[in-house]
Amino acid sequence: MPNASDLATPTPTAPDTGRPDDSAGERFDRRLGLAKAGLGVVAIVLALMVPWLAPDAFILSVAVVIASYAAFAVGWNFVGGFTGYISLGHASYSGLGGYAVALLTTHTGINPWVALVLGAVVVALLAVPIGIASLRVRGASFVIVSIALVLILLLVFQSWASVTGGSEGLRVPRPFDSSVLRPEQHTRFYFLFLVLIGIALVVWWLIDRSQFGAGLKAIREDEDKAEALGVPTFRYKLVVFVISAFFTSLAGGLYALWFGNLDPVFQFSILTGSYMVLMSLFGGIRSLVGPVVGAVVVGYAMEVFKAQYGDSQFHLVALGLLLAVVVLFMPEGVVPEVLGLVHRLRPAATSIREESAAQLLERNRAIDAERRAQTEATSEREPVEDPRHATTGKGRS
Amino acid sequence: MSVQQDVRPSLQTEGLSKAFGGVQAVNGATVTFHEGKVNALIGPNGSGKSTFFNIVTGMIAPDSGTVRFRGQDITRRAPHRICAAGIGRSFQLCRTFPRMTVLENLLVAVRPTGLGQLVGSSQNRRQVERARELLRRVGIDHLEGSLAQDISYGQQKLLELAGVLMGEPDTILLDEPAGGVNPALIGRIGTLVKELNAEGRTFIIVEHNMDMVMSLSDHIVVFDRGAPIAEGTPSEVQQDPRVLEAYLGV
Repeated sequence: MPNASDLATPTPTAPDTGRPDDSAGERFDRRLGLAKAGLGVVAIVLALMVPWLAPDAFILSVAVVIASYAAFAVGWNFVGGFTGYISLGHASYSGLGGYAVALLTTHTGINPWVALVLGAVVVALLAVPIGIASLRVRGASFVIVSIALVLILLLVFQSWASVTGGSEGLRVPRPFDSSVLRPEQHTRFYFLFLVLIGIALVVWWLIDRSQFGAGLKAIREDEDKAEALGVPTFRYKLVVFVISAFFTSLAGGLYALWFGNLDPVFQFSILTGSYMVLMSLFGGIRSLVGPVVGAVVVGYAMEVFKAQYGDSQFHLVALGLLLAVVVLFMPEGVVPEVLGLVHRLRPAATSIREESAAQLLERNRAIDAERRAQTEATSEREPVEDPRHATTGKGRS
Repeated sequence: MSVQQDVRPSLQTEGLSKAFGGVQAVNGATVTFHEGKVNALIGPNGSGKSTFFNIVTGMIAPDSGTVRFRGQDITRRAPHRICAAGIGRSFQLCRTFPRMTVLENLLVAVRPTGLGQLVGSSQNRRQVERARELLRRVGIDHLEGSLAQDISYGQQKLLELAGVLMGEPDTILLDEPAGGVNPALIGRIGTLVKELNAEGRTFIIVEHNMDMVMSLSDHIVVFDRGAPIAEGTPSEVQQDPRVLEAYLGV
């Protein structure tokens, strides 16, 4: 019977890993990579051409709204996608970002773009104590805490009318002078939202491939296990929560500058936070472009519903149904599901095999023999360190 | 209880207690585990072994008592800090990161030494090689690209052990390593434990498989009703009437 000693023997060259046809798999991966890149280029070109493809200013304004949804969803997905903490109250940060820009430009007279960034920094700082308080709970409790925050902010901003304008609303000064007409403003804001989405996606990608991102994903999978493996889970969650608040606040501030008026009922709406969740879930929270795809599809559908059925609540019913369908049939979201279907076509790259004891013994004996031969060949030239000790030896003593 | 003078203490608890409602899961437990040895913690179901594990690894805060590791007080420290101190653990019900690959499961356990490593790629070549070596050592290197949820339970057990080793712990706590795995794999896990112990690692194992416990352990602590009732070498423990009474009620 083989034992762990047989298994333990390292080898300078990789053993047969049981991959039946790597070259076919690699060819498939290359083609898939090219197809993805091609699709990405087409999507970017199309997105850049929207202002010229839009037949009128209204459709262009719809494009701005959808771009803002995408920016909100990507901002939300920093915390939702990496840690699996579902915040329904992210409207708190978009709303605070909007009011921060409005109040800073109105009361201090600073440049609106400086106010946009400064406002987002202030909101990010506010997110630190909010995160410290809310990230202590998980699951449904975290969802409820996030909703509570948005409701508290709604009450505060409605009641504090002397500063926020209350239900009368708060006018946000235009960042462009009056010679820039509405359609041109839409175009400019559309591209500003694209830039924001681009920056947020790059940051998301950098986190995704980092050691920090690995810890965050482990939290999403099993927080206690991650903690037991040495991941400082609370610190990681707090950092990504603040990053999420920062980008959501930037999107909220940009939206405020574009829309020009703020009303607490709309700024601190649970619906706004729910849209972010639904769009991200629809596209796929574990995917880089999932929230953008979700925002485009869901945002477009919402605008169509609103155009068709006016100011009814029908679009909300449709949204609810959509959410149910996604959760039931595509829990991973559209992008990962589609990629999963494509990957089914891939020639099997890794066979999951249960090696028999005899196979294991044979494999490790072969590795042993090869290693002995190499050791003998090199022993006269230089002393050989046991690789097992080199790689699994203790770091502390 | 036998008295052993020549032992160096690894993990020690003093008066450790924890109650859940009216149930006293751990009841004033004072225990010393030996450095460089394979220690076993055995006892009937519900005797408080897993709760004891969860307290010493920081997953549960004790009501009272202290936990010391190599003389240092680690009571109520966060689990990740206890891990950083050199204690790794596995769970009673095998836990992996199901939607991450086998290799990624191991790379989670890498402790960044600075901001550069924290924001740098998780697929650091040196760490990937180390992870592959550990997978090879436990015999699941051919599965490195598979999702953890797609491999068998026994392979998940080996993956969990490799994940613990990735953190380079000095002391490893295994909660029922033989639970739910086939006899051949139990043998493989046992041999791994022996090898790692020979390299200087201390083990504390909660296990119901008495063959495994008796063949592996240098020192056994027997728990009943949340506190140790006996300890000693396997032969001493096997002859202790209090152990027979706790297990068999005779």
